[in-house]
Amino acid sequence: MRRFTHLQASTIKEASQNGARGNAMVIAGGTDLLGTLKDEILPVYPSVIIDLKTIEGLNKIEDEGDSLLIGAMAKLADIASDETVKKHCQALAEASGRVASPAIRSMATLGGNICQMHRCWYFRTPDDRFHCSRKGGSTCPAYLGDNRYHSIFGIQNGCIAASSHDTAPALIALGATVITSKREILAEGFFAANGFKSCILEDGEIVTHVRVPKSKKSVFEKFALRKSIDFPIVNCSAAYDDKGKVQVVMGGVYPAPLRLTAAEKAVEKGITEETAAKAGDDAMADATPLSGNSYKIEIARTIVKRTLLRLED
Amino acid sequence: MKAGGAGLAGVAFSALGIGTVLGSETTADPGGDGKVVEELTYVCPVCGEKAADFGSLQKHFKERHSQTEVPASMVLHINGADVEVFVEDHWTLRETLQRAVGLTGNAKEMCDRGGCGSCTVLINGKPALACTTLAVECKGREIETSEGIAADPKYRPLVEAYVKYDASQCGYCTPGQFTMAKYILTKYSDPTEEQIRTELSGNICRCGTYSRHVQAIQEAAKAIKGGKS
Repeated sequence: MRRFTHLQASTIKEASQNGARGNAMVIAGGTDLLGTLKDEILPVYPSVIIDLKTIEGLNKIEDEGDSLLIGAMAKLADIASDETVKKHCQALAEASGRVASPAIRSMATLGGNICQMHRCWYFRTPDDRFHCSRKGGSTCPAYLGDNRYHSIFGIQNGCIAASSHDTAPALIALGATVITSKREILAEGFFAANGFKSCILEDGEIVTHVRVPKSKKSVFEKFALRKSIDFPIVNCSAAYDDKGKVQVVMGGVYPAPLRLTAAEKAVEKGITEETAAKAGDDAMADATPLSGNSYKIEIARTIVKRTLLRLED
Repeated sequence: MKAGGAGLAGVAFSALGIGTVLGSETTADPGGDGKVVEELTYVCPVCGEKAADFGSLQKHFKERHSQTEVPASMVLHINGADVEVFVEDHWTLRETLQRAVGLTGNAKEMCDRGGCGSCTVLINGKPALACTTLAVECKGREIETSEGIAADPKYRPLVEAYVKYDASQCGYCTPGQFTMAKYILTKYSDPTEEQIRTELSGNICRCGTYSRHVQAIQEAAKAIKGGKS
């Protein structure tokens, strides 16, 4: 890696003030950030890295009655094995337990996972060899190139890379709220292809907590080529909200996690083998696959069905 | 600084990585003819010259590299000993273990992107990838490498089980697998095959020794448990 200065923040205010200055970046678990720095994906190399792990109290999981307040620095391994999370927000525990590998899960944080940069193989090629539209170029090389892992629901802000966060579909299905140093954002509106970010955070804005409402049942399913250390081809989460309605969210099919309203409608009157299959079909009816990724529709359809049947099980 | 004591003292072979430990059961035995390493090798980050302790490395730096700024130093707690090392903000823990104190087990460069698990060390008892951890963030935390675990008499049955089942083939991934094996033994007293395979799922082996790790860890668990009671 190139040289940078490492600062240890002691408060959120200090971190966000320093983070807003010039080319600074914040580091939580580091599992996503250090890879991007080593590969020199970013056009401007950060001169300052601000450590958020030194801020006290950001790694707690608290029960607030009808919701859980999870600190952004809570480790994914701790969330996956936490009894309260497993009982009330099962989908989040399952999703946290499916991210990468055991060693990465014991380093990576929830805040880091939702702020991770989703990136396709053109975008992440070092030295800006593919100056794609997300980097300010005029074209998307994946559109005419090899797009086997890309979006099957079209383009967002010039990008067709598939979203890769595993915890995101679970958080959206559970109706979570992302709390930052400036505001509170519903998880559903938090994710978007946004230049070098994959969320709508502004410069210097830092995720501090995630508030996750309790659900009577929620599940998460992931399909990846390898069981461990792999991003999803697709992942899906379904949850009951407080009115007993089913929420279905899918990742890996669009640059941001996608709410499948058609699937939700298909299971309005209860989940059976037939309605779950119809939910999968309806959800994929509007899909617009690219030249090399129509196979993903078949997988997505099955994963939607499988997720819903597990929710009912 | 002399990094003496049981912690850093390892079998000479173990400082070369577990792969070389696995010749025969006698070479893995610290009571045998194995030469004991009592010091780490301090390496000059500029010219690569080796020094016996941090003091002579600093002296070497002043004499030979007077034009260069002396790098910052910090104390890392490695395998039970406080070790003073040169470290820069942008160095990963893997680089620091390799460049500053000459460890070669978990510290050798493999994928360097957190994708293979061969650099897995234990930080405060939890597995962490040394290639994806900044060294400056490890201040005050206990770092354990395969060298330290192999030198610990309590985990001698694990080394022996690895020898017996030949759980390393080319040896590249072995330090990471071995460190993870210790973590498994601390987490489960009697690990099942499924638990072992789940915990080792982030450690990739090109030779395909996976089933041998299961056998070795299960046998070591029995031996360690038997020794306790």
